[in-house]
Amino acid sequence: MTALSKKDRILIELTVRRIDFKLDGRVPWRKRRQVRDELRANLLEAARDKGAAVAVKELGSLDAIADSYLEVYRGRFDLQTGSYWALAMYAAIQIVGIAVIVAFHAGVAASGTHSGTFSFNVWNGFGPYSGSVSGNGQSFEMTIASPAHIALMLVAFAIGSSYRWLFRKRSLPAKRGF
Amino acid sequence: MNRENGTHDSQLLKGVLSLALLRLLAERESYGYELVTRLRDLGLTDIQDGSVYPALGRLERDHQITSRLVPSSSGAARKYYRLSAGGYAELARSESAWMTLVRALQPLVSKPVPPKPKEALP
Repeated sequence: MTALSKKDRILIELTVRRIDFKLDGRVPWRKRRQVRDELRANLLEAARDKGAAVAVKELGSLDAIADSYLEVYRGRFDLQTGSYWALAMYAAIQIVGIAVIVAFHAGVAASGTHSGTFSFNVWNGFGPYSGSVSGNGQSFEMTIASPAHIALMLVAFAIGSSYRWLFRKRSLPAKRGF
Repeated sequence: MNRENGTHDSQLLKGVLSLALLRLLAERESYGYELVTRLRDLGLTDIQDGSVYPALGRLERDHQITSRLVPSSSGAARKYYRLSAGGYAELARSESAWMTLVRALQPLVSKPVPPKPKEALP
């Protein structure tokens, strides 16, 4: 048994947190805390026996451990995946928004107008696509947030966070081995 | 189970890990790291700690083991596991399945491997 240095404790805490990050939003909060506490206690014990670096190495792949914990404790909703889906939805809306602005600007330029400001609005006040371009092509404005953005992101979040549960396989119980 | 280089097939180990854990817990109440060291003392030297801890969670979720926190002199409280009634039943079933498998495979693996497989008859 050896005493642990501050560096050892930091290494162990980082290891625990790396595993915990993958469980964030996927495993109920109370269960996550139990997993963290147990992992930390076991790692501290192992580190006192053979050093923190060896203890962490003998733990194996952190991703694999997190996946194993997810398999056991996964909750009904996956808030982490839901957040990624919402961000992806926002990015998709904005990419289409840029394409719309470019197309609108091309239309204004093709009309041969060189002065004034031209604006467009899809679903006035709701969004997600509205903006304006100057006739000389020097400036443009586009919507970066609107009620439609929020609504679409909420839909993406709801689907992303629950699709695994909604479409889970309802299989017959497997024949039991070991 | 031993290979020539002394390592174990990780898939094979995974399959019998629950049985080994239940058997060890039937002998004595233990916590995660202690179970890892007990498995290593049995000769399963390349077992990874990270495969044992979630396996204990799975057994607890399936009501085969129960746990309690015990304050430790070394700092963080240890989570001690012990077999439940369901665990004893599962252990008996797994041991029986294991023995059946060993009995079925023993005659096959105890024979020397022929240098060349026989040709199939036309």
